[in-house]
Amino acid sequence: MDFSLFLPNMLSIWSKYWQLFLFTGLKNTLILTIISVALGTVLGTLIAMMKMSKLKAIRFIASVYIEVIRGTPILLQLYVFYFVLPNIFTFLKLSQFMWVSVSLCINSSAYVSEVIRSGIQAVDKGQTEAARSLGFSEGQTMLKIVLPQAVRNILPALGNEFIMMLKETSLASTFFLGDIMTSYLVVKGVSYLTLEPLTIVAIIYLCVTYPLSKLVEKFGKKMANPNSYRNRKLKAGGKI
Amino acid sequence: MEMIKTVDLHKSFGELKVLKGVNETIEKGEVVSVIGPSGGGKSTFLRCLNLLEKPEEGKIYFEGTEITGNLTKEEKHMIREGKLPKPAKVDIDIHRQKMGMVFQHFNVFPHLTVAKNITLAPMMLKGKSEAEATQMAKDLLNRVGLLDKYDEMPSNLSGGQKQRLAIIRALAMEPDVMLFDEPTSALDPEMVGEVLDVIKGLVSSGMTSVIVTHEMRFAREVSDRVLFMAEGNILEKGAPDQLFDHPTHPRLQDFLAKVL
Repeated sequence: MDFSLFLPNMLSIWSKYWQLFLFTGLKNTLILTIISVALGTVLGTLIAMMKMSKLKAIRFIASVYIEVIRGTPILLQLYVFYFVLPNIFTFLKLSQFMWVSVSLCINSSAYVSEVIRSGIQAVDKGQTEAARSLGFSEGQTMLKIVLPQAVRNILPALGNEFIMMLKETSLASTFFLGDIMTSYLVVKGVSYLTLEPLTIVAIIYLCVTYPLSKLVEKFGKKMANPNSYRNRKLKAGGKI
Repeated sequence: MEMIKTVDLHKSFGELKVLKGVNETIEKGEVVSVIGPSGGGKSTFLRCLNLLEKPEEGKIYFEGTEITGNLTKEEKHMIREGKLPKPAKVDIDIHRQKMGMVFQHFNVFPHLTVAKNITLAPMMLKGKSEAEATQMAKDLLNRVGLLDKYDEMPSNLSGGQKQRLAIIRALAMEPDVMLFDEPTSALDPEMVGEVLDVIKGLVSSGMTSVIVTHEMRFAREVSDRVLFMAEGNILEKGAPDQLFDHPTHPRLQDFLAKVL
């Protein structure tokens, strides 16, 4: 293979298709990621609550949901949501993009629910006991004492989930849904080049994931320090 | 007047029977220390009193109100026959407001400032205004020598300071009784004194207190009565001098020989 043309080819592809890569590909990838993690967090919170329910039946349902989603490949789930479910739920007039979003969202929710549950359970049991002994109800204890502390455990992990999901959305290109990997397929089709567009795509992914993971890391360290509560409030100009 | 009365309290964790029918009455204004070997049921007994542990059998009367909701066989029978009305459900949260508790590991709230640790419960649960609660927090902090920590986060406090904060956090709810669960066991030796001093000051002001402790000298000094718990029951109880100087139960003699 001749690599002498690698750089010139890459530059020419970039100058020709950069809008496709960024304004179509990256945009769609980000939209897919944000939708699936945001809705996944909402759904995941619900699943986490179910998993911690006092009722065994509800706990069981949540466990099955989590195990099935986490125990099967995401590609398989995408196939089911793309090929099977639209034929069953014909009355749901969802676009293919939406079906894939729903699938990714459900996938994300299973992981997020475990993140939330473990974040909550990592809060020292003594905190709950102290709050209850003061007379706080279960709900008040959760809201005022446990959750504010659990957030410290949950947010960094949620950031990592976002980065994971950003990469997982590349599977949407299986259905040609316009994400960055789809851009690659398009460019490959018209230019007959593979390595060059692939390199561009890789660089774009890295340009997003690397700063994000650094941010999560920094954030995580700050969150681990209890003084950050105070600093955050001070910075916000708030009263302590 | 009876503050707390337990009748035939049973508690087990799985197979392990921790309390085997504890009967005890704590009078208003009384300071009662609970001593005994580890695993003897002291802490469990204390934690049952405000239902952090729910006893399977037996009753607890707090200021005259039964709080466990447990029923005896006869009562169940009478309810089935319609001779006794079904008891109303007890709202334990209300009763817990009147029972302050201090834990071995302090359990101060790390995400709240020292001041907020104290004011949160009175403001949320007793509807105190911010001004009232803040004033109270300052008074309490002043009382235990922590006023300069008002705006600090608990992570900047030493163990002894955290425990003093935990004590006044409980006091801010103006409880009728204070429960201490080995309040100095997790402290560095040089910090034990400052915490014991706070407790001493508190009990001398007439606060009804139940103190589970390994500090024998302290128990002897502050208590009106000492309970010796081992093997899931109170094996001996009495005035501190009598109990420490003239123990009658062989288990207590053995225990004291080891710890004194």
